[in-house]
Amino acid sequence: MATGRRYRGGLVDLGTGLISREIFVNEEIYAEELDRVFTRAWLFVGHESQISKPGDYVVSCMGEESVILCRDREERVHVFLNSCRHRGMKVCRYDEGNTPVFTCPYHGWSYATDGKLVGVPYFREAYHGKLDRSQFGLVEVAQLATYKGSVWATWDPKAPGFLEYLGEFRRYLDLTLDGWDGRDGGTEVLGGVQKWLIPCNWKFPAENFSGDSYHNISHRSVDMVGIGPSGSGRRDTRERLIARRLQICFPERGHQTGLYVLPKDQPTPPAYQQSPVVSEYFRHCEEERRRRRGEWGRVTGSPGEVFPNTALHPRQPRTFAVWHPRGPHQTEVWRWYLVDSDSPPEVKDFLRQYYIRYSGPAGLTEQDDMENWNYAHAASRGTIARRYPYTYEQGMGFEVESYEWDGLRLPGSVLDITEAKSSEHNLRNLYRRWAEFMDAASWDELATWRTPAP
Amino acid sequence: MSIVNLRHLQPGARIGLSDGSTAEVVSNPLDGIWVFARYLSSPRDASRVGTEEMIFAQDIVEIR
Amino acid sequence: MSDHRDDVAHLLLQQEIQSFLYQEAELLDERRYEEWLALLDEDVRYWMPMRRNVKFGELEREFTREGRDVNWFDEGKETLTRRVQQILTGVHWAEEPLSRICHMVSNVQILDVKPSAAAPSEVTTKSRFLIYRNRVETETDILVGKREDVLHRVDGQWKIRRRKIVLDQNVLQVKNLTFFF
Repeated sequence: MATGRRYRGGLVDLGTGLISREIFVNEEIYAEELDRVFTRAWLFVGHESQISKPGDYVVSCMGEESVILCRDREERVHVFLNSCRHRGMKVCRYDEGNTPVFTCPYHGWSYATDGKLVGVPYFREAYHGKLDRSQFGLVEVAQLATYKGSVWATWDPKAPGFLEYLGEFRRYLDLTLDGWDGRDGGTEVLGGVQKWLIPCNWKFPAENFSGDSYHNISHRSVDMVGIGPSGSGRRDTRERLIARRLQICFPERGHQTGLYVLPKDQPTPPAYQQSPVVSEYFRHCEEERRRRRGEWGRVTGSPGEVFPNTALHPRQPRTFAVWHPRGPHQTEVWRWYLVDSDSPPEVKDFLRQYYIRYSGPAGLTEQDDMENWNYAHAASRGTIARRYPYTYEQGMGFEVESYEWDGLRLPGSVLDITEAKSSEHNLRNLYRRWAEFMDAASWDELATWRTPAP
Repeated sequence: MSIVNLRHLQPGARIGLSDGSTAEVVSNPLDGIWVFARYLSSPRDASRVGTEEMIFAQDIVEIR
Repeated sequence: MSDHRDDVAHLLLQQEIQSFLYQEAELLDERRYEEWLALLDEDVRYWMPMRRNVKFGELEREFTREGRDVNWFDEGKETLTRRVQQILTGVHWAEEPLSRICHMVSNVQILDVKPSAAAPSEVTTKSRFLIYRNRVETETDILVGKREDVLHRVDGQWKIRRRKIVLDQNVLQVKNLTFFF
């Protein structure tokens, strides 16, 4: 499914910072990206805590397609295409549960939780015992990885392993997955995955979470009324007064995140002050984190994105969101919320309430995002509108490759926005990688880090 | 003869199959289409007795 | 004779509760949000679970749990007040320009009344809703479901103490929930 278009230097021109609206609204390009991006990249599927026991399953999505994430009887984790090999019917139309088999309601083919085809009606009679059942198990992803509880998969056997795909971004992903006290892992998802539809291309939310530091103005109403965990604004932002505010990305990988780096000799400002229990919990965790992680304990994150469509946020709210494409003009969002597994019930409950008044369709903050993405997309579809590319030139050329501040060196390409207030550094990174995926014939051209520069 | 609703079959239930066999339900995945059962008798193939198989709903003619 | 009085008391209560629910809908649709807030008890619980597709026989897991899981809404008066204040800033872009909203309330049933229909101080009532939202030019949403309310009488005025909202959807078919149920 190649349209013959060139993306780098064409529709995605990072020399000028101009990106064509066609990549958001064009149906052929959409079909091409389903093939070139979504069948090759690593995609977030779910969390191990959703499938803790053998036979547990949850239905998830990879791109447009329904998949089953399950734990088999031997406790191995699998991700299967949710489609019967005989006539394609969904073999699972439940959102979650526990089962020994996935049985297709159409003709009755039945699959074990390891994907093997174990039940074929009239196998002896109608197939005369000849069907090679070993060839018709559920289609399984080419590679699966579990990382600190999160589960990721790709359909491409030639994709690099997940940790190689992450590269040094792993340390930034850890900010979302590690316990707030700096312990490895130690997070769990709250029950209930929010799923809803937004009438816009999936790249609108993807670029927003990649690091749109410019759109604060659109959240002025929630900032005015105050839903923050200390009683005002929408987040605890006192660290802004003392920290460096950075945008960090990995050009060869396509991952990016915002970041705060606190000064060496100052404690983390108090937060969550609406609740003494929660405030004390985080004060303690901050201390522990600095002790455990040393210099790295001064780093806290803001929104980020694992290429292509997994948004993450380490705090306020702590969340993963996946932007599932549903045609060029629609996105289905799935959002998971995380808490420290061993935090006290009061802390989990406080965070849960804060998370859902901030994020999701009822979130006072995110509601305004969805309005903007909706009508930005709608107003970009016209024949005339498509002739005028969006500009992403903010901060072009101001990034540095070996950023260091107050004794801490940070991996990645960094643009310090403490004084600049905003840049589109991370957005350019998302589209740089997207264009590379669109142009590349295979992973041989995409794993550029394997070939040292001449 | 009424159609058996497999969801109602408990482990230990005895079922009569269309080839004249009798089997005992071992476990029920509650998909309404299959049960796991062990053959107690099989007039056409004695070697099946004692073996466990997934039994298809349309092969189950009665509860014995 | 006493039976007859009971029937009349029930009819009058049914009428009274329906009127209350219709008036409440009127306040929302007329964008009289602060007056609507005044109908909510200070300790009101406003809960809208998410709904899962679960296997027959496992329906106890259909709804996300109040106070435990992620829900669409699970909050009290403070957050509801913030929602109203946000709309009233005039710069809450998801509701600026304001949506045109119509609440249809029907199938009002009284499930429980304490201590009696003749002198009610607390009523549990269930109703159906159909909410129509139209905004900007052609954007139109229709949401249908059930509500279960606990109302109680304070100084002669009914107040909403608890509202459970059951939306008949799995994946939410609207981009946001900027309005009240």
